[in-house]
Amino acid sequence: MTQAPIIATGLSRYFGTGDNAIKAVDGVDLEVQQGEIFGFLGPNGAGKSTTVRMLTTLLKPTAGTAFVAGYDVVKDADKVRRSIGVALQDAAIDPLMTGRELLTLQAVLYGLSKIAGKNRGEELLERVGLTAAADRRVGTYSGGMRRRLDLALSLVHEPTVLFLDEPTTGLDPMSRLTLWEEVKRLNAGGTTVLLTTQYLEEADQLADRIAIIDHGHIVRQGAPRELKAMVGSPTLSISVASSETDEARVILARFGDLRPTSEGTLGVGLARGAEDVASVIRALDEAGLKVRHLELDEPSLDDVFAEATGYRLEGADAANKPVETEAVLETKKSRRGRK
Amino acid sequence: MSNLTAEQPMNVRTISDGARAMEVVAILVKRSMIRVRRMPSAFIPSLIMPVFQLIAFSGAFGFAVTSLGIKNALDWYVPLNAMQGASFGALGVSFGLINDMQTGFFDRILMAPAQRWVTVISSLVAAVVRCFVPITFVVIVGYIGGMNTPGGPMAIVCVAIASVAIAVVAAGFALGLTFRMRNLGAATLTQFAIFFTIFLSTSQVPLYAMSGWLRGVARINPMTNILRFARQGFLGDVTWEQSWGGLIAMGSLLIVTFIFAMTGIKKFDQ
Amino acid sequence: MSIAVADPKMMASSSSSRSLFRHTFALTRRSVVGRLRQPAVLAPAFIFPLFFAALGSASFNKLAGDPYFTANIAKSFMNYAVAGAVLQGVLFGSTSAAGDLATDIEQGFFERLLASPISRTAIVLGRLAGSMVVAVVQVVIFLIIFLSAGARVESGPIGYIGLIGGGALLALAMSGLMAGLAIKSGSPEVVQGAFPLVFVLMFLSSAFFPRHYMKGWYRTVADWNPMSHIVEGMQGFMNHDLSASQFAKSWLLPLVIAIISIAFALRALNNRLAAS
Repeated sequence: MTQAPIIATGLSRYFGTGDNAIKAVDGVDLEVQQGEIFGFLGPNGAGKSTTVRMLTTLLKPTAGTAFVAGYDVVKDADKVRRSIGVALQDAAIDPLMTGRELLTLQAVLYGLSKIAGKNRGEELLERVGLTAAADRRVGTYSGGMRRRLDLALSLVHEPTVLFLDEPTTGLDPMSRLTLWEEVKRLNAGGTTVLLTTQYLEEADQLADRIAIIDHGHIVRQGAPRELKAMVGSPTLSISVASSETDEARVILARFGDLRPTSEGTLGVGLARGAEDVASVIRALDEAGLKVRHLELDEPSLDDVFAEATGYRLEGADAANKPVETEAVLETKKSRRGRK
Repeated sequence: MSNLTAEQPMNVRTISDGARAMEVVAILVKRSMIRVRRMPSAFIPSLIMPVFQLIAFSGAFGFAVTSLGIKNALDWYVPLNAMQGASFGALGVSFGLINDMQTGFFDRILMAPAQRWVTVISSLVAAVVRCFVPITFVVIVGYIGGMNTPGGPMAIVCVAIASVAIAVVAAGFALGLTFRMRNLGAATLTQFAIFFTIFLSTSQVPLYAMSGWLRGVARINPMTNILRFARQGFLGDVTWEQSWGGLIAMGSLLIVTFIFAMTGIKKFDQ
Repeated sequence: MSIAVADPKMMASSSSSRSLFRHTFALTRRSVVGRLRQPAVLAPAFIFPLFFAALGSASFNKLAGDPYFTANIAKSFMNYAVAGAVLQGVLFGSTSAAGDLATDIEQGFFERLLASPISRTAIVLGRLAGSMVVAVVQVVIFLIIFLSAGARVESGPIGYIGLIGGGALLALAMSGLMAGLAIKSGSPEVVQGAFPLVFVLMFLSSAFFPRHYMKGWYRTVADWNPMSHIVEGMQGFMNHDLSASQFAKSWLLPLVIAIISIAFALRALNNRLAAS
């Protein structure tokens, strides 16, 4: 029986001890199936990168267990490393070397013979569209090129499990689409992918299943379609004059559950969707309230996120969005020098 | 959620068992040399400073040494400055490692299946390869200045052995500190440590010519024995009596600093 | 810091000498406070000179057995080394101070100063005066340490003033030069790159060992190096009775260099202003 490539049970990571310990990841359970693209969605500081670093053996868990490619990430770290490819949040490259040199280096580090490494390098350069720039120093590459090279480096040894930590953060739309295509292609070839992202559209487009993580806990898990259906009804967002907000809120509450929306608007879930819109507008009109703007949105992953966490991932105000937690800083400190 | 465990590991594609260690060392050393070639401004000071100090020390303090019966001040200072030049490679190792940590490339190295000792050894070998350049320059300048080698070719062998040992010791120390501190403070501390270790020895004058506190410190400083080993061929014959103390000092320091470096990199697994 | 903008007294016409004094004083204070808040940068300017002096004293004290040395140069090697330590400390300190100015330019604070109604000259003079203040503190600390270790100022109370004044004037001279470099380049790395030159100047002089015992081309270079004469003036205060030549060497010579270096710095400033 083939087992799941990634299994985590009660996975936790704390920084510090005692009452002041920062719980960056607290009891994460997940299981990624063979051949799936699994999306790990959450804002900055939620614990995504810390979880990935534990699964890729860069950070030791404080509690819980994890098996990647069938091996324990703590006891058999070496075997895990041979089976996985990793592209972390910042492209892990050496700016003084050329793309070709880095691929050759990576091939040797993973035990490929010289010829095999060379061939593999050329194949990957072709695949990620960097053949023309292969002999240029990586320091001269654009952000998109660095990401593509980073991806190529993570594929040198043909891993069966691929970890991508926010692979398109900071990329322009075209580069992002290119990377998405490559991820889909890899997955079509049989590679299991765990992808972390803070972009809802990315999770929606790529992932077969997603887990939403917030403050170190998984709050929702499932296929995007199923999660949206769980949120249920579409959301009607309206904006009224600020002096009329309270009265409008009372009226909206008669039609469905009130939902968090972006600043300056009120939101309500409508069980029958567009059919209920006219009734809502009529009720507001009868109360003498003027609707300045209205929008009817089908449930999105942002709605799923909002329902699970109480705030929106995109367009959230500063009070709702978590600040860069000490956990994020500790994670950054643990992997590289303090800047 | 199923209750699958790891009783039956996945049928992963096999690659060679670990990376072939020597190949990995070779490619990481090659990378180090590429970086030196492409950023010479970081390397040039380690070339110029030892040569300058050789000229400055022998020119300024030469009398203090020749008045004690040493024929040419260069005989006294060439081994010192060759070792000093060799030790500068340690700073390069530290800076390079910190740079890798900051760019995230060090994570790639950590995630590679090569064992940790391979990563450490490759940095030490890189420091050795680098050190031959300043050693050569210092010796050449010494010869031009009329340096004597009554010990024959063994004089050069001794200074080379001592310089390589210092390069490895300093690099091991730099690695151990950098793995622990993970910032530029490690490079600064390494610099200070090397500087004081070298100078609080028989760097300027022999033991018998020193006075007070310095004599006491130099007596117990292992660098004194290493300098004795390195200098002997420039002052007379190379003998076992003058060698064994330096060899033991070098051996001990090599073991201690290697352990320091290894325990440092193991912290990344904790 | 917004001292120059917040203080209404600073809003006075920049052409008056009174406002030049006020602006310079304020920027001097900023410069000194800035230096004191970077102990990691300042520490080498204390540690290395003291270390080299201690090392030299312990290594070369046998030289005190040479009759020429005791008759003409110094009673002990430690007494000889004090002036070298002062020279080294002041040179190190002045070089790193210029790094602060280059950082101001790189990070834009220099432009903020230019945009405020303060005298342009004060921007440079404030840095130079700050260096002098730090140098005075350095020399006083060095003297306390060396005197407690057994050194003596043979020229008496005026000799102390001679040493302190010499250190301050040397700081002025070096700071002017380094400030000019900082303004021209706007880069702390370039200023740091000048540090080896300072090192060369120091070693190719009688700062660490008497010129009398040097030979050949090295001796010739040391003879012509102004640092040799400056430090020998200071060594005179430490080891001989008071004489005018000590002031000539350790005050007048740095003052002449200072005039040239300040002119260089002000010219660099004018060029930078003209370019923008």
